[in-house]
Amino acid sequence: MSSHAKAAEKFIADRERTAWHDQALYFVREKRDRMAQGVPEWEALREMASRMKRHTISRLGYYLEMFERHATANGVHVHWAKDAEEHNRIVYEIIQKHGGKRLVKSKSMLAEECGLTPYLEARGVEAVESDLGERIMQLMGTPPSHIVLPAIHVKREEVGKVFERELNTELDNSDPTYLTHAARKSLRQNFLHADIAMTGVNFAVASSGAFVVCTNEGNADMGTSFPKVHIAIMGLEKVVPDYDALALYVRLLARSATGQPSTTYTSHYKKPVEGQEMHIVIVDNGRSDILANAAHVNMLKCLRCGSCINTCPVYRRTGGYSYSYFIPGPVGINLGMLKSPEKYAGNLSACTLCHSCSNVCPAKIDLAEQIYRWRQDLDGMHLASKEKKFIDKGLKFVMERPSLFYAAIKAGRTAEHMPRFVLYNRLDAWGIGRELPDFAPETFNALWKKGKVKE
Amino acid sequence: MSSRDDILARLQAHAITPEKRPEMDFKPLAFDNPVEQFERILKVAGANSLRLEPGQDVNDLIRTAYPEARTIASNLPGITCATVNPDLLDDPRALDGTDVAVIRGEFGVLENGMVWVKQQTRYKALFFISEALVILLDRRALVNNMHEAYARPDFDDFGYGCFIAGPSKTADIEQALVIGAHGARAVTVILE
Ligand code: SF4
Repeated sequence: MSSHAKAAEKFIADRERTAWHDQALYFVREKRDRMAQGVPEWEALREMASRMKRHTISRLGYYLEMFERHATANGVHVHWAKDAEEHNRIVYEIIQKHGGKRLVKSKSMLAEECGLTPYLEARGVEAVESDLGERIMQLMGTPPSHIVLPAIHVKREEVGKVFERELNTELDNSDPTYLTHAARKSLRQNFLHADIAMTGVNFAVASSGAFVVCTNEGNADMGTSFPKVHIAIMGLEKVVPDYDALALYVRLLARSATGQPSTTYTSHYKKPVEGQEMHIVIVDNGRSDILANAAHVNMLKCLRCGSCINTCPVYRRTGGYSYSYFIPGPVGINLGMLKSPEKYAGNLSACTLCHSCSNVCPAKIDLAEQIYRWRQDLDGMHLASKEKKFIDKGLKFVMERPSLFYAAIKAGRTAEHMPRFVLYNRLDAWGIGRELPDFAPETFNALWKKGKVKE
Repeated sequence: MSSRDDILARLQAHAITPEKRPEMDFKPLAFDNPVEQFERILKVAGANSLRLEPGQDVNDLIRTAYPEARTIASNLPGITCATVNPDLLDDPRALDGTDVAVIRGEFGVLENGMVWVKQQTRYKALFFISEALVILLDRRALVNNMHEAYARPDFDDFGYGCFIAGPSKTADIEQALVIGAHGARAVTVILE
């Protein structure tokens, strides 16, 4: 069994929760569809966004230097970090210089990637998450299970219990409004008394040196309004050439991510305000290697919108913790493989090749195609036999159970597409009639048997 | 080699074939009745809107919209209902507990209900910390979409600026929409 299948077993054992999780994500996916349908030029917009990314990636060094030049002229300190370790060290040194003890941060996948919070906590710096979902996960002591909706797998009663314990909320009150406002009250104190603010970066505009942070809660802006130091951290692929390019991504991001016309706050930071110090850390941590990987270089186009996760039938029914990489879903399967095939090949099974991810991605990243390619490549790695076995095993399971197999065919697709998926999911949870466009023309099994495929 | 040079050298060494910058080959979303569309989309974003008609006093409008407000913070001339000038405070923390903040927006975006606000007060905290936010906006300053927004000639003229679309919100608990996560719980755009 693959690592994903093994981990998923636990999640799907609770059938009701699986269905609930599935529905919650699909609800977000449907909101995204309505938004996309409301923009007649949606497909042309995606196409242009994708090509603009390709252009940017082909001139990454040029645009990063331009960004650095302008940000520096604006009075911002720019730092460069080769890897997670250097990133953490730079951040800690800035904090130390200011004698900082209390850091308030908005959501950043990069901080997660670098393990920043535990690093700082080991050095006596408290790092409080200010996004509600992230804060819930921090108080629960478990990592987020989604990159945009960190607590999507948590039920309101569970939030109520944690808040009772941590924030002294009323017994058994699990009303989302009540709990959200309790968090508002409690985090307000963290905002007011933090000495360091940290934010991620959604986009860095090379032509002006400004960087953009998008939130619905206003936590990034509240966080940066009081401390004397603002540290922003960004993966080097976040740079965009100019405002015309930025317009494309701002139009696509919120519509794709949560099905809103825009986030509530799209904040543009350019110059430190009087008395404040502003730092930007530009992080590589493997990204420059992705550039050299022709088959997977498109991953550098990713906006981290999460829509490929929301639409993924396997993610929806198995949850974020079934994946061994910290980013789940199609984007995480691919980024995990780029990080370390040895560690993360077990996630490759979490794909039915339904291509729904490739069809929703605002940057038109060929996510499913890349997963397929990785599976082919396993042949050339010493991981082949191990990872192949689990797929065969899944197939065998299905083949030995004709009722499952035929129900699968009735559902309009063949079981070979989704060995792991069939193995671990009830057929009624398949999302029959849902929008799962462009199935692979050949079955996965057939392709697998043929060995190398022609692309 | 410094990390900077090292990273840039790696990007150079791994560079892919240069790709041309794409041209825009579509006509982006545009609207026939700007003010009506803006009022409609503000509602989608969870904001209220009011039209200031000739002869009306903006202070009356604000007072009527927020009759319970005890502290109203603004540095705008003409906002005589203000009880606090935020620029005279020594510490932005003193703004905690403000009922209403009144600020000026530069322009609105019809496709998504955003209003562009630039830092215009000593502390940007004012935009986020008050319970309710009132944004004054010239109703002729409306653009169709983000392409037009960013193409405005003076757009880059800011130190800090924010597109605000309605009140602060979250759906992090079971996807139930809750207004008032960390920022203003209510936003009213007054179209002048
Ligand atoms: S791969 Fe595409 S859909 Fe997935 S998170 Fe990135 S940008 Fe969004």
